[in-house]
Amino acid sequence: MSLRIYAIAYLIFLYAPIILLPIFAFNDATIIAFPLSGFTTEWFGELMTTKALHGAVQNSIFIAVITASLSTILGICAARAGAMYNFPLKRGILGLVMLPLVLPEIIVAVSLLIVVVQILDLGLSNWTVIAAHVLICTPFCIAILNGAFQNLDPSMEEAAMDLGESRWSAFRLVTFPLVMPGIISSFLIAFTISLDEFIIAFFLTGANPTMPVYIWGLLRFPSSLPIVMALGTILVALSIILLTIAEILRRRGMARVGVKDKGGFL
Amino acid sequence: MTDLISLTNVNKYYGDYHALRNIDLTIKTGEFFSLLGPSGCGKTTLLRTIAGFEGVSEGIVMIGGKNMAGVPANMRPTNMVFQSYAIFPHLTVAENVAFGLRKNKQMDKLQKSEAVDQVLEMVGLKGFGDRQAHALSGGQRQRVALARALILKPKVLLLDEPLSALDKKMREQMQVELMRLQRHVGITFILVTHDQEEALVMSDRIAVMFDGEIGQMDDPETLYRRPNSRRVAEFIGKMNFLDADVKSVSDQITVDVAGLGTCTVNAEQAPSGIDTGKAAVGIRPETLAILFDGEKTERETIAGVVDEVVYYGDMTYYDVRIAGVDNTLNIAMKNLIGRPVLDVGAQTTVVWDARSLVLLP
Repeated sequence: MSLRIYAIAYLIFLYAPIILLPIFAFNDATIIAFPLSGFTTEWFGELMTTKALHGAVQNSIFIAVITASLSTILGICAARAGAMYNFPLKRGILGLVMLPLVLPEIIVAVSLLIVVVQILDLGLSNWTVIAAHVLICTPFCIAILNGAFQNLDPSMEEAAMDLGESRWSAFRLVTFPLVMPGIISSFLIAFTISLDEFIIAFFLTGANPTMPVYIWGLLRFPSSLPIVMALGTILVALSIILLTIAEILRRRGMARVGVKDKGGFL
Repeated sequence: MTDLISLTNVNKYYGDYHALRNIDLTIKTGEFFSLLGPSGCGKTTLLRTIAGFEGVSEGIVMIGGKNMAGVPANMRPTNMVFQSYAIFPHLTVAENVAFGLRKNKQMDKLQKSEAVDQVLEMVGLKGFGDRQAHALSGGQRQRVALARALILKPKVLLLDEPLSALDKKMREQMQVELMRLQRHVGITFILVTHDQEEALVMSDRIAVMFDGEIGQMDDPETLYRRPNSRRVAEFIGKMNFLDADVKSVSDQITVDVAGLGTCTVNAEQAPSGIDTGKAAVGIRPETLAILFDGEKTERETIAGVVDEVVYYGDMTYYDVRIAGVDNTLNIAMKNLIGRPVLDVGAQTTVVWDARSLVLLP
């Protein structure tokens, strides 16, 4: 019984702050406090007219799309190599690739800042953020794609080649359609991670901030807090939708190859 | 029949590991040829070098008179049925079967679908074309894999342990079906298997492989009756081994067999080049017999004691101890009318015949 209470308390502690977001996003007051004073969509309207925000969102989406594409491609290469080939130090190399998953982001951010600015003597831009985001997103992509590739029978591509296809068309016709749900799932998760990543973006953005960095800037003005709440609400909704789509696709992919689900991120 | 495949002095190394050693073999058009051996003996590697998935380190692989060096799997006139069947799960049965016809520009859509129907009927899957491939049973997958390979009318069909994933009944049924199919299409089949019974039942010729080399290559009967070495004799069927001492070799061979005494065997009962000195004698369990009460024989007999009885219904296997031999003799007896099943410890008479002995170096 006490365990059940603990579990419920745990969930409340975990999710209550997030539930506050939409509540205050629709609250008709600039002060974030109870009691609520009325319903309004004013803050959402204000989001639409804030020019600087639009720039930040555009930046973030640009970074997220490129990051998701690159890290998914890298993930495909790594997962395929891991599933189909044996090479010296395979476990060690694959382990090293997964390391950024547990590396503190602040460490990644600071060391990349030093490398880019001090050693390479380059300016900060969206591309520096993309480079860092690819680094932290790739392990997630590999983890998702590993599931997709490891369920594949390695003789399947050989069978396609045996039936007259080249190595590339065997991949395109057999492997690719089978791992497609995994690829989409990987893309969406990398997109989500990149979109709301703050620490790295904070250190490595150039003149144009990303959306999380812009939100951080807004927090200095108490009057704009409800706008942050509205933006946060949209972000949470978007994240949930994207991750749900990703998971549905992943499961559908599993069912398609006729294998049992072996977990995943959700 | 002409030679379709010839391998000359083929060697394959994986680093220091010598996977194939000096393989020389020729396979004729229309032959059902088996590569038989324990796991890790190189039989699958050999099959994959013929298919083009593995290169050779040394030697020449010729198919249909053409040197296959540098010819990738998709350009070879071979098709393979994989151990896992490797059915494409995202396609229907018909799409799987038609997969190899994608590059065929001479056939139009209708001809292709007719070809698919025809080959599906041949493997006993008529009307299964629209099924999703991942929803099939093991036996059905196997048939799809066969159909998918056969539709291309390859010169050679390579089968990598195709029956190992099936249960015993299904396996026996598929053995017969595969033999019938092979006769029907007239394509050369090369089968890889570790199941000696399967190889004996299905093949025209069998190459028995150990440690990357061919131990013996013969038709099933010769292989069973005249194994050329102890390891082949041990691997194919059951065999009793007795120590022996070869006294003289000419047209006939005089040999002193432990427990049985001195006897004379024909030269064909020994591998060529056998010399006087220590050797072994192999005797199949079914060529020995137990003399039951009231039965008579003109063959040699020797007294023995029943050490173990294994009852199979149609057969009973006895382990019988005879004087002067450490290990027991395994004897297979049909349970004919009037024959009792003996008990352990029973005194018996063992019947043997010098004509059934195999002399082994």
